[in-house]
Amino acid sequence: MKQGAPAETSREKSEIKRPVAVRARDLTMDFGDGAPAVDRASFDLETGRFLTILGPSGSGKTTLLRMIAGFQKPTSGEITVNGHAVDATPPHRRSVGMVFQRLALFPHMTAAENVAFPLKMRRYDPRSVPGRVRDFLDLVKLGDYGERRINELSGGQQQRVAIARALVFEPELLLLDEPLAALDRKLREEMQLEFRRIQHELGVTTINVTHDQREALVVSDDIIVMDGGRIQQHARPVELYRMPENTFVAGFLGVSTFVAGTAFPGGLKSGDLHLSGTHAGEIAEGTPVRGAIRAEQIRIVAAPDSLATCDTAFPSRILDVIFEGERLLYVAESDRLPGVAFQVYHHDTEAFDLYEIGAQVTIGWNARDMKIFKSTA
Amino acid sequence: MDALEAALDMIWPRRLARYSGWAMIAPAILLVGILVLGLVQIAEGSLHTLDRSTFLPSEEYTLANYQTIIDSTTYWRVLWRSLLGAGLTVFFTLLLALPYSYIMVRTSSATIRKSLLVVLFLPFFIGQVVRAYGILIVLGTSGAVNDVLGLFGVEPLRLLFNFPAVVFGLVQYMLPFSVLLLAPALTAIPRETETAASSLGANWLQSFWHVVIPMAKPGLVGAGLVVGTLSLTDFAMPAMLGGGSQDFIANAIYDQFFRTADQGLGAALALLLVALGSVIAGVVIAIFGAGTLGMGGRK
Repeated sequence: MKQGAPAETSREKSEIKRPVAVRARDLTMDFGDGAPAVDRASFDLETGRFLTILGPSGSGKTTLLRMIAGFQKPTSGEITVNGHAVDATPPHRRSVGMVFQRLALFPHMTAAENVAFPLKMRRYDPRSVPGRVRDFLDLVKLGDYGERRINELSGGQQQRVAIARALVFEPELLLLDEPLAALDRKLREEMQLEFRRIQHELGVTTINVTHDQREALVVSDDIIVMDGGRIQQHARPVELYRMPENTFVAGFLGVSTFVAGTAFPGGLKSGDLHLSGTHAGEIAEGTPVRGAIRAEQIRIVAAPDSLATCDTAFPSRILDVIFEGERLLYVAESDRLPGVAFQVYHHDTEAFDLYEIGAQVTIGWNARDMKIFKSTA
Repeated sequence: MDALEAALDMIWPRRLARYSGWAMIAPAILLVGILVLGLVQIAEGSLHTLDRSTFLPSEEYTLANYQTIIDSTTYWRVLWRSLLGAGLTVFFTLLLALPYSYIMVRTSSATIRKSLLVVLFLPFFIGQVVRAYGILIVLGTSGAVNDVLGLFGVEPLRLLFNFPAVVFGLVQYMLPFSVLLLAPALTAIPRETETAASSLGANWLQSFWHVVIPMAKPGLVGAGLVVGTLSLTDFAMPAMLGGGSQDFIANAIYDQFFRTADQGLGAALALLLVALGSVIAGVVIAIFGAGTLGMGGRK
């Protein structure tokens, strides 16, 4: 739709305040078997934005999505879509398109019949249906596949049919329930970009559910991280990655090393070692804390002198070297911090394989890169 | 373990391994073979007419028995009655079995599912004849149904010994079979598919009609075929609930074999029934594919 302006992504437009499309207030789902599946979840989602609910399995993310879709009635709390309370509206009266985990295409129909189904059910003018179906099959680049049966299509093509079917009636809201989870990595990454492209083209407000942190970072305008039924953090991808609010978020996104200790101004103390770091919020001196440092924020060198600019540096020994293709992952331990295995990403364009197992090195980081959180348990 | 293998090796040496499959189906082939042998004998029998003076089959081969059937209006009527009865039974049985098995498969309550299953299996422990007898009692002139109707001032109705009574009995008899055949077909439909239909704007009725029924088609066809062929060849229900006035083909065959002792004519009728059933099954499978019976004949 917005041809010739590819740079204008919704990430940049997000500075403009837009009307709220979805508002959830204290949504709770309690199945009565222990802790609630979703516990007082509240969030706002602006029109046209792509939100990902990210969390491990059992975090309540799918339950939250199903409540928004209307398949599950919340125990308490309320949802409004474009200003209307929808709690009493059955799913088939809502204007919500959904792509399901196992796609749930109709195997007895062709691709075009699948896409026409919502139009038939929603009583669109029959004369407008074929054209509309064609437009949306074109949108997902399946223009020539309309007459194929579902089992004659590849996994990626089936994904596209499911997207077209969910969007053809121009719903107010598009919901994606981990539809990419079953795909192999290459196809998954291709489809992630497709979701993003289509979402931009139509500007439809989208909520995606996934446990794949990479997918969340790649496709989303906003990310909600959930764990144990609670929203842990709701932020933009960059913010979420750079400024996690608690140890769960810090550990779930990216690769981090955690160091337990007690707080002191400008960092934490573990044994007799002072580590520089940044406190997340107000933390009184002496409080038990955990510091989190990302693998790519730790520098690793042979000679201690070259880490003079780092706020914290100490000698360590290489425990393991893991080759990950585009980079190396070193696992290093310091005698002064027994039991903590530092994970360090290393990428050097000059010399790739620098250290062997058992080598003595120095590792270090800057105060702003180690995040220090109050210990939860 | 080794001893066991050595013993096995003596009974069925390893070099015979590639015939193992045949050995496994040999009993089944034997059983079918006996059936075919019987059929051949019946076919032979159908080619002799009964000599009324000696009450022995004629020596020479003749198609006279088949001619008798074709010329007889009675047999045509019996044939049509059987076909119509089977057809109606299929229709009503599937109509009742579909919601029953749907609820059984989809209910979230284990209690409801178990009760439905028990109710379904209970009639299996009671023979067909006993059940028909039960229907005789309930629908009789002084039976429970007429008693209830009497409370509303309705004169006792003649509910038995007519065509509807036979169909009623057959439907009652066939329901468990068709539910058992339908349940796996409905289980195979992912719940998510129906959820998807509702999110796309279908109410439950539309979802049932446009999604559940087409996707359950293999089960419906399979159940219909089984119910149809069983009804077409049924003996007890027409005999007991029809009171002699509502004979199906099986009753006519019985009469020829055991009443008039015209084995030739009985054999001809029996072959006709086999042919009719085979043609119907063949046509249904040709139209819907062997996959409909869960045999995966279609891709």
